[in-house]
Amino acid sequence: MRILFLFLAKELRDIWRNKQVLPAYFLLPVIAVGISVLFTLILPGIVQAKKKDPGMDIIVRIVQTLPDFAGMPLQEGITRYFLRNLAGFFLLMPVALSSFAAAFSIVGEKQQRTLEPILATPITDRQFLMAKLVASITPAIALTWLAGLAAAVMVDFISWERYGYLLLPDRFWLVGLLALAPVMGIASVLATMHFSARMTDPQAANQFTGLVIIPIFLLIVGLFGRTLTLSFVFLWSACLVVLLLDVVLFRFILRKFQREEILTRWK
Amino acid sequence: MISCHKLSRLFNSVTAVEDLSFEIPEGKLFALLGPNGAGKTTTIRLLLGLIAPTSGGARVAGYELGHDKRANSSIRAVCGLLTESPGFYERMSAWDNLLFFARLYGIPESQIGGRVERYLRFMELWDRRADPVGTFSRGMKQKLAVIRAIFHEPKVIFMDEPTAGLDPEASVTVREMILKLKAQGRTIVVCTHNLDEAQRLADLVGILKQRLLVCDTLAGLQSGSGGSARVEIELRDALPRHRQIIRAISAVKSVECATNTMLADVVHPRENVPQIVRALVNSGAEIIKVHAQTDSLETIYLRCIHGGSVQR
Repeated sequence: MRILFLFLAKELRDIWRNKQVLPAYFLLPVIAVGISVLFTLILPGIVQAKKKDPGMDIIVRIVQTLPDFAGMPLQEGITRYFLRNLAGFFLLMPVALSSFAAAFSIVGEKQQRTLEPILATPITDRQFLMAKLVASITPAIALTWLAGLAAAVMVDFISWERYGYLLLPDRFWLVGLLALAPVMGIASVLATMHFSARMTDPQAANQFTGLVIIPIFLLIVGLFGRTLTLSFVFLWSACLVVLLLDVVLFRFILRKFQREEILTRWK
Repeated sequence: MISCHKLSRLFNSVTAVEDLSFEIPEGKLFALLGPNGAGKTTTIRLLLGLIAPTSGGARVAGYELGHDKRANSSIRAVCGLLTESPGFYERMSAWDNLLFFARLYGIPESQIGGRVERYLRFMELWDRRADPVGTFSRGMKQKLAVIRAIFHEPKVIFMDEPTAGLDPEASVTVREMILKLKAQGRTIVVCTHNLDEAQRLADLVGILKQRLLVCDTLAGLQSGSGGSARVEIELRDALPRHRQIIRAISAVKSVECATNTMLADVVHPRENVPQIVRALVNSGAEIIKVHAQTDSLETIYLRCIHGGSVQR
């Protein structure tokens, strides 16, 4: 546990001191909070103004077919529907925020020539990989949760006067942010770390993450996102499946992690 | 403290090191010499359990080297490594870097601060402790790397080119530190191209070129192992018959005379010089001085590497 905190503290210090990386960590959460607030502010007005619009009619029909929103006033139902769909954005946030740190996790150590001194200490492969995982994912999850909390507080502050009760968090939002987002983030970090250990160039590792890993997760959320916002059982099942995937991935990476291959293949 | 038996490592079909067998007693400094690509770094990595041998085995600080990750981890806990390139986290301060590695080595929290301070002061880096390592010169980073290799007080220390890139003053500081560690009874393996440094520091010298060509004490290398020496013999009155007496001894390859001094090329001088002295005394010669001009380490090294083609 001490080693996990050691690497995490180093990672946090590194992010804090890197003025080029720090803004990138805050951009996505700010956008997510901003969109949530914007939806809450403008959706009731749009629904009111475009009540007779054919496009709006389609949305109204979709929302009214959903049991969670069917009995609600139109403005509230549509606002809640859009806010829940926005949870997909928060689901991908740990994946995107951790990608930079995960891509550099091993190849970056090699580039700085700190990998061999680290591997020359009594640290085990399991400790090293676990520490790298924790260091990469924790800031991303923390920022996702902070963004989720900020979005909920601001949305409720804005909407309280209109509806008299809290729009956020709803149960889908809660499970999505607290359970599914972290396990998805862990899966993406583990996949990225596996390639980071095989790359010889940090730039290539970063590009690989941006062009392969993140699009794969985007695709998954795109394919299953709607079902995730509609079926609570499916949402929980997805959490369990991705958690299982995390365990399998970690064991696979641990088995494939060869100190000597990393030390001798790269020059 | 370290013993290797037929340690070999192949990378695909390329032999990095082959049949390494040597013993380094506790408290001794072993200088491992060899050209680039001779397998010095591979040898260090093998002995630290960072890479696995293809065949053969070794015992380091009481632990059997092997495929058991736990045993290798135990070896690394009692060993220190100075890598060829002193890698540090450039944005972090010297102090934070050392604290990070101190914790990885499991130094008790109550001792970390004191130890790091002591070594930073010895290496004259105390005033720069709060500066990012990225602002350090190559020499300063090397000193910091030396601290990292020793601050957990390991029984065995592996040093890959410890004074490479250092200015003369910094080299002296590092050499003093190495001698201090040796005096404390630590076993040290130094890979170096600096033959003068090896000659000054080493108890044992090994010359590696995939195989260990020689491994002995410096005196042993100079006097034996196929070596020869030019022996200067000064007599009160040198006569032609004295030259003939020396020439008759089979270990003497050639003799030159200059007034009362004779210069003889003698094979295995440690064994054969007493025979020359005895023969001269028996013939009635009065010996003023006998001095064996032994080979320098450089000569021995070049002869080993080039298979005896180097002339003294």
